[in-house]
Amino acid sequence: MGGQDGFGPVPVGDDGAPFQADWEAKVFALSRALRRNGAFNLDEMRDAIERIPPEDYLAASYYERWLIAMEMILAEKGLA
Amino acid sequence: MTYGPGTRVRALAGDPDHHTRVPRYVRGHVGEIVEQEGEWPLPDDRARGITPPRVEAVYAVRFPARDLWGTGSHTVTVDLWESYLEEVAPRES
Repeated sequence: MGGQDGFGPVPVGDDGAPFQADWEAKVFALSRALRRNGAFNLDEMRDAIERIPPEDYLAASYYERWLIAMEMILAEKGLA
Repeated sequence: MTYGPGTRVRALAGDPDHHTRVPRYVRGHVGEIVEQEGEWPLPDDRARGITPPRVEAVYAVRFPARDLWGTGSHTVTVDLWESYLEEVAPRES
């Protein structure tokens, strides 16, 4: 799905804040912590996001996709 | 193979069954080398857990927007790993 056009504009918060909710900041922090500890690398994360089934991908927000991808990786590697 | 500035290259047209960082919108299109951006691990290998990953030259490659989308007078510059590229023979361009 990544890199394809024709899906309309990307909704962006107009207040300039990096996160729209506390849970988004926690997902961000979790991803950094897991990567720093070697659970996965950035390319594995991108790959996992691309492997989210299209119906789930399209229904999810940006950080929901991060969370889904991390759950996939941790399950696949037996870390969850 | 090292590509110098101005070399005309074609981005791979295929759709691999694994992660890659060749954007769909440049696949199969011809661009021009701007400069080399150093050497970096190949994301395709890193995403698949291949260790050690291949380390390749990364190039800034400039494409005319009109070639990619049929409109626009600007150019789009994309970072592409060496194995994503093939040189275009002068008469082919």
